[in-house]
Amino acid sequence: MTLKTLLTATAVSALVAGAAQADVKFGALYPFSGGLALLGEESFRGVELAVDEINAAGGIQGEQIELVRGDAVDNNQAIGEARRLISREDVKAILGTYSSSRSIAASQVAELSGIPYFELGAVADEVTGRDLQYLFRTNPTAETMGIMTIDMILDEIAPGLGVEASDLVIGVIHEDSAYGTSVAGHQEEYGAEKGLNIVTVQGYPSSTVDMSSLVLDLKDRGVNIVLQTSYQNDSVLFLNQSAEAGFEPDAIIGGGGGYSLTATEEAVGALMEGVLDVDFTQYAVNTEFTPGLEDFLVAYQNKYGEEPRSGHSLNNYVGAMAVLEGIGAGEGFEPDQIVAAVKAIDIPAGETAAGYGVHFGDQNQNDRAMMMGMQWQGGKLVTVYPRDAAVAEFQIGD
Amino acid sequence: MTDTTSMTQASGGGLSAQKLGLIAVAVLLAGLIAVPVAVGDEFVYHIFITICLFAALSTAWNIVGGYAGQLSLGHAIFYGIGGYAGVILVNLGISPWFGMFAGAAVAVVAAIVVSWPCFRLHGPFFALATIAFLEVFRVLALHFRELTGGATGLMIQLNIGWEWMVFRERLPALLIAFGMLLVCLAVAWAIRSHRLGFYLVATRERESAAKAAGVGTVKVRLMAVSISAALSAMVGTFHAMYLTFIEPESMFSLQFSIQIAMFALIGGIGTVWGPLLGAVLLVPITEFARGALGSEAIGLHGFVYGVVLMLVVLFLPNGIMGVVHRFTSGSEKTEGEQAAPVAAAPRSAVPHEAGREVMRVEGLQKHFGGLHVTNDVGFTLREGEILGVIGPNGAGKTTVFNMLSGFLKPDEGRVSVLSPSGEWQEPATPADFATLGVGRTFQIVQPFAAMTVEENIMVGAFHRHPHVGDAREAARETAHRMGLGPYLNAEAASLTIGGLKRLEVARVMAMEPRILLLDEVMAGINQTDVRRAVDLMLSIRDTGVSIIAIEHVMQAVMSLSDRVIVINSGQIIAQGDPHDVVRDEHVIEAYLGKEFTHA
Amino acid sequence: MDTFLQIVANGLMLGGLFAIVAVGLTLIFGIVKVINFAHGEFLMVGMYLTFLLSTGMDVHPYLTAAAVAPALFVLGALTQRLLIQPLMSARDEHVQIFATVGLSTALMNLALLVFGADIANTPAHGVRSQVMLGEVRILTGQLWVFGAAILLVIGLQLFMKKTRTGRAIRATAQNRAAARLMGINDKFIYILTFGLGAACVGLGSSLIAPLYPTSPTIGTYFVLIAFVCVVLGGLGSIPGAFFGALVIGLVDALSGFYIGSDLREAVVFTIFLLILILKPSGLFGTRMNLSHVSP
Repeated sequence: MTLKTLLTATAVSALVAGAAQADVKFGALYPFSGGLALLGEESFRGVELAVDEINAAGGIQGEQIELVRGDAVDNNQAIGEARRLISREDVKAILGTYSSSRSIAASQVAELSGIPYFELGAVADEVTGRDLQYLFRTNPTAETMGIMTIDMILDEIAPGLGVEASDLVIGVIHEDSAYGTSVAGHQEEYGAEKGLNIVTVQGYPSSTVDMSSLVLDLKDRGVNIVLQTSYQNDSVLFLNQSAEAGFEPDAIIGGGGGYSLTATEEAVGALMEGVLDVDFTQYAVNTEFTPGLEDFLVAYQNKYGEEPRSGHSLNNYVGAMAVLEGIGAGEGFEPDQIVAAVKAIDIPAGETAAGYGVHFGDQNQNDRAMMMGMQWQGGKLVTVYPRDAAVAEFQIGD
Repeated sequence: MTDTTSMTQASGGGLSAQKLGLIAVAVLLAGLIAVPVAVGDEFVYHIFITICLFAALSTAWNIVGGYAGQLSLGHAIFYGIGGYAGVILVNLGISPWFGMFAGAAVAVVAAIVVSWPCFRLHGPFFALATIAFLEVFRVLALHFRELTGGATGLMIQLNIGWEWMVFRERLPALLIAFGMLLVCLAVAWAIRSHRLGFYLVATRERESAAKAAGVGTVKVRLMAVSISAALSAMVGTFHAMYLTFIEPESMFSLQFSIQIAMFALIGGIGTVWGPLLGAVLLVPITEFARGALGSEAIGLHGFVYGVVLMLVVLFLPNGIMGVVHRFTSGSEKTEGEQAAPVAAAPRSAVPHEAGREVMRVEGLQKHFGGLHVTNDVGFTLREGEILGVIGPNGAGKTTVFNMLSGFLKPDEGRVSVLSPSGEWQEPATPADFATLGVGRTFQIVQPFAAMTVEENIMVGAFHRHPHVGDAREAARETAHRMGLGPYLNAEAASLTIGGLKRLEVARVMAMEPRILLLDEVMAGINQTDVRRAVDLMLSIRDTGVSIIAIEHVMQAVMSLSDRVIVINSGQIIAQGDPHDVVRDEHVIEAYLGKEFTHA
Repeated sequence: MDTFLQIVANGLMLGGLFAIVAVGLTLIFGIVKVINFAHGEFLMVGMYLTFLLSTGMDVHPYLTAAAVAPALFVLGALTQRLLIQPLMSARDEHVQIFATVGLSTALMNLALLVFGADIANTPAHGVRSQVMLGEVRILTGQLWVFGAAILLVIGLQLFMKKTRTGRAIRATAQNRAAARLMGINDKFIYILTFGLGAACVGLGSSLIAPLYPTSPTIGTYFVLIAFVCVVLGGLGSIPGAFFGALVIGLVDALSGFYIGSDLREAVVFTIFLLILILKPSGLFGTRMNLSHVSP
């Protein structure tokens, strides 16, 4: 029964795959099911839109791109799917993966097989910390997020409040998975480097139902700037319970996640006003700095019948566009040819729909990748930092 | 569920069924290697490696969850320990082949620490405790970042080669996974067909009876847990090398622990091959379902999984092996009369001469709260004597028995037993008593229902004969003596009450006791059986065994006992020759009330 | 000192929240003797129902309890009748555990299918307004929850001790065979009890929904905590579950503040383990509550 099932599955997918022989195949490895499915799917949409656009313009090196999906529901699965994409689907490279753990696991497989892996959305440092030859990352990382948060404090918040940055009392809280932990770690490190007074760094499980003790602790320590890296549930809890405890810091800076989602704003209402956020480029941004953004929004709406649910699609789109067009400008689809082509990519800042440029530097990380600083104003998340990309004034201190 | 039937050689008709079963398993195992090699596809290799991994883990789990009956839902603790030990050591330059054993050692320590205090907890609570331990481990793994890498996890350097268990091709990984599966299966099979397995099942079924049969119930369960933990850890180390990246959430995962247990359940808990079948069946199905349903709608795949699980539990509670068994178990009918016991030695018509003292009971006192249940009970037992203990209900006879077999500790007083070498010892636990040759039966029969008659008796026989073969011989011989010969392969649960009582006695006799404590063996059996039982007891005595028997059936007491003790309200109110005792007015008063003392 | 009092207040309120969930669980546990892994999902279902009714009909979430509690009663009764009852004669206790695990997985994924992974927010309708007790702030909603928990405990105790059905339930719990001999239909009692336990959770969910964001996975956390409260309080003891929940709420809040947010869970579970190992009858239990321990 086992054998038959497998052979049937193999036959079916072979039929499906063999449909268009003249195309060049790329793998798209994302969590399409399980707990991360929502944003995994969202991220994938960006890649799909990029491929649509490129194919409409003639494909790369004269060939149409075919995307083959792989479901990275857990680490073991991610490995299996990577293998399938490489050995059975014969993809030339893999694009992915939203989740740092999945990315790390799957890219090790790709490396062992000598197939290029392009990470377009996962933020943990370790993704590009392993001296891998075939792994490239286009998106900004947890480090970028941490640094930008601190820069925002130094450049805008302290002056806006009329105090020295080192006089601020800063509390860092984060959900305890790789995402929250790595961002918080960078905030702590870079903040210390810049002489900021970070009085506490605390993790908590994202499934928590109560954060009142944490809020009291922050209040007790006299924290006036809170940096929180969290998902939906804990963002809502924190904002609600802080207000209820009478804890009113001068600024709250979220690290993406729940802080970028409309659903959170709908849940907490007026409490969201003025809350800051550092994340991938979202949609209310100075479009002079982000050419192509409006076209992207139109294309998204046309294809999926709704607005983007988060900035993940945009960032994956930008990364996919850069990489695929870069490969198109090169020669051939052999792994080393792809690597050479990609290493030659040199897009300056302000010329992509996300605003940041693309150039692969140390450890194949895009050294021009950048996050954006945003603020909730009037129920909308608008870009306020850096000034080039800002579409509204940075509101701090009243 | 007679899970050893296919393993015993006794059933002639079952021989071909057993052989067929083994051949099927061998084919299955061969297929695990042959199919991926034949198909040659990397993805297929991955599936089969995953099957081997899950099957190995489920088999290891089954040693604790199935054989020992302790439902552990936190087994990922050991798997995770193995994984982390492997990765940490690899990053220090030590090969995972060594790291595997280091991880296993740590896992064994963790297993003992975690399980020992929890053995007293029944099913669901043991499960909850293991879940709690797992969560604590996971939180601690997140917390101690310097050691475990915390939430961001740990990676291994990609050094290729057998030494590091990292390969470009898939076949070596499959071979290692398959090898581990074989090791787990071999260990599981070995346990099941040797003494440890019997002891585990006995402990699982009836802990007190097992103790009375001389089984060190805590010790055997600790062994089971340790073995299981070590195997799980080793698999964990390999998997960590295969994944090349580990993190607390996936290494100490409750979901994963439940999955492992699930495969064993669906395949057939407590059987050797069940977990393997469960994994072989479910892993591909889950793959296929995920592929077909996964991206359709978020949650559809999980929903179907949950529903399927409920259906399987409702309709196949004994798993696949249970279904297989129903088709293969031959005719184990238990009709027909019980044979008369074969006397080991001719009965003597002369009143027996009692020998030296073998057991001394002095000044026993026991209170249950405010209730004084045993009040200054003392007597001696002579070699070859049959001592009857009678008294009204609630007099405290079984309480005294419990103190004579280590199941209850007296508040005051002493129980001394003459050892075979001639010194007096004061045993404390049931195991001590058993070692000194004191065996007992229980008022409410306690058969090991999941075993056959033969296997039940073997549990007792193991006390003297550690090897399976010898124990089986001894059990058979005892069975014949007790008149249970025709029923050797019947499931214990299918015997009549008379048969069960006999089985109880047989099991104790297989321990070759010198002193036998019988607690109401005649209760609830018919006249014919009573006579048979009396003959049986006399023949036992004639082999040199001393007997203390609590009895209500007066006919038996009169014809059997050399001496009688009467206990009422925790005190001895009369002792002596049976015929004198029943005429003692205190005894009559105790049983019937004052009005009858002069009847 | 103020901070300390606030933490204690938070802990007690949290305890009230746990109590509402735990009381239903101890009822099922103590009477039917089944470990219901799906109990957290019952809460989740109740919260989603509250959300739907409250937003759909634009009414105060508390009012929806009139519909949610009976709905959950039906869910509980069906679970007992269709899933647990056929398994009650199974030799291994394991199968019951797996059955409820399957139910838990199915319910959670069903919610994911129907509602998606986003959180659902039941409008607060004023329950988030604050009450000041001295320097300590408490939400009105939290007081309602606490009060409801107390009333539930008292109500259930009265029901159990004074009514015929209640006595029948207790009899069945203590000795099933004897109860049957007395003419009690034990199957019906189990169905009733499971339903009742689920209804308690249903009531609780209507009170909890406006206070906390609802998501398909919210049940998993609650179920483990509820088990801890139940064991702490003594299996089957309803007042015990309440006090156990208060203790856990306090421990949670205090350890969150004084030890650290990441270790709270570890502290709670360690206490759980210590109780199981050292005093398995629970803090408030008697020898009667020891059916889960062998001598």
